[in-house]
Amino acid sequence: MRTITIDPITRLEGHGKISIFLNEAGDVENAYLQIPELRGFEKFSEGRRAEDMPQITSRICGVCPVAHHIAAVKALDAAFHVDPPMAAKKLRELLYCGYIIYDHILHFYFLGGPDFVVGPEAPAAKRNILGVIEKAGLDVAKDVIKHRAYGQKITAILGGKATHPVCGLPGGVSKGLVKDEVKDIKDMVESCNTFAKFTLQLFDDIVLKNKVYVDLIRSDPYTLKTYNMGLVDKHNKVNFYDGMIRVSDQDANEVEKFEGKDYTNHIAEKVEEWSYMKFPYLKSIGWQGLQDGKKSGIYRVGPLGRLNAAEGMATPQAEKEYTRMFNTLGGKPVNSTLAFHWARLIELLYATERAKELIEDPEITSTHIRNPVKTPGAGIGVVEAARGTLIHDYKLDKNGLVEKANLIVATTNNAGAITMSVRNAAKGVIQKGNVNEGLLNKVEMAFRAYDPCFGCATHTLPGGMPLTVNIYDHKKNLSKTITRS
Amino acid sequence: MKTIVIGVGNPILQDDGVGIHIINELRGHLKDSQVIMDIAYTGGMNLLDMIRGYDKVILVDAIKQEHCKTGEVKRFPLTQAPAIHSSNPHDVSLSEALHLAKQLGETHLPQEIIVIGIVIKNTNDFGEHLSSEVASAVPTAVTMVLAELKNT
Repeated sequence: MRTITIDPITRLEGHGKISIFLNEAGDVENAYLQIPELRGFEKFSEGRRAEDMPQITSRICGVCPVAHHIAAVKALDAAFHVDPPMAAKKLRELLYCGYIIYDHILHFYFLGGPDFVVGPEAPAAKRNILGVIEKAGLDVAKDVIKHRAYGQKITAILGGKATHPVCGLPGGVSKGLVKDEVKDIKDMVESCNTFAKFTLQLFDDIVLKNKVYVDLIRSDPYTLKTYNMGLVDKHNKVNFYDGMIRVSDQDANEVEKFEGKDYTNHIAEKVEEWSYMKFPYLKSIGWQGLQDGKKSGIYRVGPLGRLNAAEGMATPQAEKEYTRMFNTLGGKPVNSTLAFHWARLIELLYATERAKELIEDPEITSTHIRNPVKTPGAGIGVVEAARGTLIHDYKLDKNGLVEKANLIVATTNNAGAITMSVRNAAKGVIQKGNVNEGLLNKVEMAFRAYDPCFGCATHTLPGGMPLTVNIYDHKKNLSKTITRS
Repeated sequence: MKTIVIGVGNPILQDDGVGIHIINELRGHLKDSQVIMDIAYTGGMNLLDMIRGYDKVILVDAIKQEHCKTGEVKRFPLTQAPAIHSSNPHDVSLSEALHLAKQLGETHLPQEIIVIGIVIKNTNDFGEHLSSEVASAVPTAVTMVLAELKNT
């Protein structure tokens, strides 16, 4: 058996490692994405003051601090048996919208989008934000930078600090909004809404009007028929901040709907010996190995998972786009992995509309933003991080110190699906040992769509290493190395 | 010349946070000085936001480099390190962010970015303390940052 290793993954800066196993004939036998997991969080958290958890967990990742911060404060609400005032919930949700805005913009224009905007066959050196500028123009790039910064600014105003918020407390938030801030946020949100609509139009013009891309989106290697999961409000519409966890099947029927606090009754984790990773699956369906279909309990989270799991969007513009996406791609659910990119833009539009509703709500300037806490116990907080369902689960002692902490992050929820997508894409593009750069990029595209979030510690110098492919013979001896600069 | 010193790293991933430990140490040495210091738990675009408007930037960061001893301290211009602390899968490197800003015609970008890099082993374990090899590099790095500041 020959082994091809793609390492490091471009634009993921060497965090994950893709190993592709070929048989004697040179066809793909199997493929794995191995993600080095951060270890010891549970032990690290033991004995810490509960109210420090929103700050500590927001350090886990340099880009999704808001999701961890809010999941943590929601877990603490539950642990301290307190329901925050309505105004506090709205402030947290508005903060969250700012985060979704900057995160989704960054992913589309910098990370996932270049594959489409510049093209999957383009040289690697062009498939980045600079290539996007070349294709879409300097003015678009200026707008990208501006609106990503607006999202950041909104979170900084509400969070009390840039990037890493400090506002969340059990029972509410520490900081309200004043009139001037409301005006600033309103202007930024309006502008982001226009930009979100522009971005969907850009996706239309560049991707959907190009038959080659649409065929690629709908092609078998990029199709995965898993279950879908996401938070929904009481009308089964997508919600990032709160609601019930809804799971839908391959025919878009609801199979489960449960409160976050009951997650252990519905989700189990399988450990495969070749990886440190845990693969979550639906308990009621069971583990059948890494395969899709109704008999396998593997599910997908994230933008496409959420849109599939829900019955629509809670705001009018996004709802219209939601319907259009499903009509265009052949109805619900959409199983095309590359449609994650489209779903992400529909969510971007939703976040701007929802932010507008919240900032125009008179209650947003209320000064009643915190309720007193009661005796500590156990609590679970669930939010939809940009890349999928995020669960924080704490058990506190009587002094409010952490006894036990468990997190399930979005990329873990997607682990099984990402691995299968990588394998299917590899099967689709590598035959008889024929491997070139364009083909390898299509494999990377499969997991890039999920916007996976790996641990944020590795330093590599000299960084930005070229893609290296190692090909081993059937005795696992290195027979060839292909390096792409 | 307007200068900023930034410690980059993750404070809860052991040696990864060495840049932050060094800034804390520097604060003791530079109590009465006007030197601007900050810490960043992040990279890429966020780091770009922090350095806009300065003429010179000194980044103190953990680095991983083959054939180097853990705890070794290195000085080099950012231009020689295309992906410093782009460790984040969901962000671009600072170099890429700077390149982008230049293309967009931004004028308030630093003329010089110097990295003081401390070689660490790969760590995926949570913790707030430095390993002994890396902790012993802190005084050297502090001296190097002070020397760098004298040269500006």
